[in-house]
Amino acid sequence: MLLHHKGSPGFGRRAAILAVAASLLLAACGGGGGGGEGSSAPAEFRIAIGIDPDTLDPAGQTTTTVQNIVDYMVDTLVDIDKDGKLKPGLATDWEVAPDGLSITLTLRQGVTFHDGTPFNAEAVKFSLDRVLDPNVTVPIRGSYTVIQEVEVVDDYTVRLHLSQPSPALMAALSTTMVGIISPASVEEHGNTYTNYQHPVGTGPYVFKEYVPGERVVVEKNPDYWGEEPYYDRVIFQVVPEAATRMSQLLSGQVDMIILPPVSDIPSLQQNPNVEVLLAPSNRTIYIAINNNDEVLSDKRVRQALNYAVDKDAIIQNVLFGAATKLDAPMAPSLFGYCPVGAYEYNPDRARQLLAEADVENLTLDFIAPTGRYVQDFQAAEAIAGYLEDVGINVTLRTMDWPTYVQNIQQPPDQNDLDLHLLGWAPGYLDAQQQMVQFQLAAHPPNGLATAFYTNPEVEDLLERASREIDVETRADLYCQASRLIMDDAPWIFLWYQSFPIVYSKDVTGVSYLPNEMFDAVYARPAN
Amino acid sequence: MKGTLQYITRRVLTSLLALVGVSLIVFIIVRVLPGDPARIIAGLLATEEEVERIRVAMGLDRPLPVQYWDFVTGLLQGDLGTSLRTRRPVLVELVPRLKMTMLLATTGTILGSLLGITAGVVGAARRYTRLDYLLSSGSLVGISMPVYWLGYMLIIVFAVNLRWFPAAGADEPSSIVLPTLTLAAFSMALVARMTRGSMLEVLGQDYIRTARAKGLAERVVIYRHALRNALIPVLTVIGLQFGSLLGGAVLTESVFAWPGMGVLLVNSIINRDYPMVQGIVLVYAVLVVLLNLVVDLAYGWADPRIRYD
Repeated sequence: MLLHHKGSPGFGRRAAILAVAASLLLAACGGGGGGGEGSSAPAEFRIAIGIDPDTLDPAGQTTTTVQNIVDYMVDTLVDIDKDGKLKPGLATDWEVAPDGLSITLTLRQGVTFHDGTPFNAEAVKFSLDRVLDPNVTVPIRGSYTVIQEVEVVDDYTVRLHLSQPSPALMAALSTTMVGIISPASVEEHGNTYTNYQHPVGTGPYVFKEYVPGERVVVEKNPDYWGEEPYYDRVIFQVVPEAATRMSQLLSGQVDMIILPPVSDIPSLQQNPNVEVLLAPSNRTIYIAINNNDEVLSDKRVRQALNYAVDKDAIIQNVLFGAATKLDAPMAPSLFGYCPVGAYEYNPDRARQLLAEADVENLTLDFIAPTGRYVQDFQAAEAIAGYLEDVGINVTLRTMDWPTYVQNIQQPPDQNDLDLHLLGWAPGYLDAQQQMVQFQLAAHPPNGLATAFYTNPEVEDLLERASREIDVETRADLYCQASRLIMDDAPWIFLWYQSFPIVYSKDVTGVSYLPNEMFDAVYARPAN
Repeated sequence: MKGTLQYITRRVLTSLLALVGVSLIVFIIVRVLPGDPARIIAGLLATEEEVERIRVAMGLDRPLPVQYWDFVTGLLQGDLGTSLRTRRPVLVELVPRLKMTMLLATTGTILGSLLGITAGVVGAARRYTRLDYLLSSGSLVGISMPVYWLGYMLIIVFAVNLRWFPAAGADEPSSIVLPTLTLAAFSMALVARMTRGSMLEVLGQDYIRTARAKGLAERVVIYRHALRNALIPVLTVIGLQFGSLLGGAVLTESVFAWPGMGVLLVNSIINRDYPMVQGIVLVYAVLVVLLNLVVDLAYGWADPRIRYD
C-alpha cells in the first residue's frame, strides 16, 4: 500500500524503515522476558498480588503480603491457625517460668535449612540476636526488645531471658520478623548480615528468583520437615491493578488472586468458575476523634457520632459485605477480645446527646485516605453524610498517604484535625498490640495513638494486663478495659475488614490466616 | 557534515547545562513534598525510635546541601544512589525497567506511526469521501478513548473471552501485544490527524500543481512529492509522542502490569523514595534531550534543504 512506483529513489529508504520496524517488532516479541517453559511442565501455582516486595529479609518486614511470601520459605518458632490460636512450629513445646521472666523452648529435631545446614539452638539464637541488633533494619523491633538474652541451653533447647514478664511474647514469636534463617546464609547468595535478600529458611518452599516489579518464584523443598505440598513451583506475580488481577484469574493466567475490585465481589460470588473467600482479618477500621478538642472532649458528643453512623448499611452498600461491624475495640481474632456491644444506628439518640451537650452548629474537619483500605474514601463520604443528617457540618478531604501520615502524626499542640479514618492491624494477634492505641505513651509524636485518648483507669488495667501471666486474669483485664473504652468512645468504631481471596474452582485447599494472609501452601488441583 | 557535528556538540553542551538544572529541581521537589520516607518505609507499627534509626541509616538526617553534594558527586561517577525502599542500587533497579518501557514505547510508536501515516495519507488523497470521514472519526475516537478503558476492553475481549493473549504481565512473548495496541491506538490517531492536515496543506502548493501538470501519476505525486514534505511536522509529533510514551505510559503499564519505569516512578513517589525518583527523572531528562536531537536531525533527512549551521 505504501509504494509501488518503481525506480523511486525514496523506495530503498522507506523499505529500510519498514525492515527496521519489522525487526524491532520481532525482537520485541522475542524479548518479553521469561521466555517459554520447559517441555514437561512442573506443577505450578500462580498467585497475583498487588505490591512489589520491598525486602525479602524476614527481619525487615512491614507488609503482610510480603510476609506471606517469606513465610513460604522461612518458618517461625510458633505458628497460628485460622482462629489465631498458637500451635507448634519449629518449637515443639514452650514453658513460661513462674515469675514470667524466662521462656524455655524445645526445638524440633532433624530439621535442615535449604542450604543443608542443621536447624538448632544456635540458629535460633543467631536469628533472634540479629533481630535485636540495632545495626540491622528491623522496623517492628519494638515487639521483641523485651528479650534481654537468648541462651543456648543445649542443641535443641533455647531459653529467652526477659526484662519483664511478657505474656504477649509467644504470639509475637509467630511473626515473619522472627523467622529462623540459616546463619551460614548471611554470607552467601549475595547476602550480607545487614542486607539480606535471598532468604534461606526451613520452609516448605525454597527461594528461586525475584524479578523486581514482576514476580517472586519459589520451588518445593524436597526435604521439608512437615507435610509435603502439592505444587512444584509457586509464582507470585506483581499486578498492581485490582481489575487486572481479576482479569488474569478469569482468563486462567493465574490460579488465585488477593484483593479483587471490591465492587466486583458480588459478581465474582455469582461466577461458577471461581471461589470467593472473605477472610476475617485483624484490621480494625475506625475514625479517630480528636479527644483533645474542646467540643469533642465531651464523651456525649463522641457517643453521638457513634450513634449517628449506620455501619451495617455502609458495610452492605459501600463495602459489598467485605467487613464486620466492631462490637469491641479490637477484632475477635485477638487474644483479649470480648464482645462488649456495638453502637447501633440511632440518629435520634445522637441528636439527643448533642443537645444534652449543648452542641449546636458543630463543624468538623474530616480526612480519609484513598485506596489504602477497602473503600476507604467512599465509606468516609457515606459517614460524612450520616453526620450531616444529625446536624453536624462536615468538610471531608483526602490526600496521598505520606502526607496523610505526616498530618495525623502531628503533636497535640500542632494537631487541629477533628476526625480521621485509619486502619490498624496489630503485628501479632494479642490485645496488647491493639491497646497501644488507647495509651498516653503512644500519643503522637511518640506513637500513632492519634485520637489522643487517655483514661487513668484504662491505663492502669492495660499496664497490669501487659505483665499478667495468668491467661484468664489477663483476658479479663482486657475485657474490662474494652468496656471502658467502648463507653468513652474515643473513636467512631466502624468495622474490621475482610481480606478477599479469589481462586479458581479448579483448585482446592486454599484457606486464610486471620491477619490479612492467605494460606495456600497446601493448595492442590480439585480433582 | 562538519556543520552537523558542530551542531551536535553545541546541543550536547547546552543539554548538560539543562541536566544540572533538572538534577537540582528534582532534588528539591521530592523533598518539598510532605511526608517522611523513613516512616513510610517503616510502617505504622514501627516505634518512633526505629523510624529515627532508619532515618539516620538512610542519611536523611544530614543537611540538604550535603545530601545534594553526595547526589551530584555520585552522578559524576555513574552512581544514582541507593533506593530507600529496597536498598538496592537505583541503577540496578532502573535499567531492566527502562528496557521494558523502551520496548513498549518503541513497538507502540512504530505501529501507531505506520498506521497513522497510512490513514492520514489516504484521508488526504481521498479528501471528503466516505473513507476520509470514517478515518477522521476513527481518529477522534482513538484520541478521546481513555487508555484505561481501551486497555480493559482489550483484556476482556482478547484475554478473558477469546484467550488469545495473556491479560497482563510480561512473562510470555505475546504479552506485549495488548499493551502495544493500546498505546498504538492513541499515537495512530494523533499521527493520522497530523499527517492528513499537513498533506492537505502541501497538496495545495504550486509545485504539486506543476507535478500534476507534468502528467505524473497521482500516486507519484502523493508519495514522492507531497508526503516527504508533509512529514516534517509529523516527525515532530512522532518524536514528542515517543517521548511522552516513555514517560507517560504509566496507565498502560499499570493496567497491563507491565514492569516498566512509569509504574516504578509512581510507586517511588508514593513511597517518597527520593533517590529512585531522582534517578528516574534524570534518565527521562536524558532521553528527552537525546530524542529531541534525533528528531532535529531527522528533519534534515526528510527535507535536505534544512541545514544545521
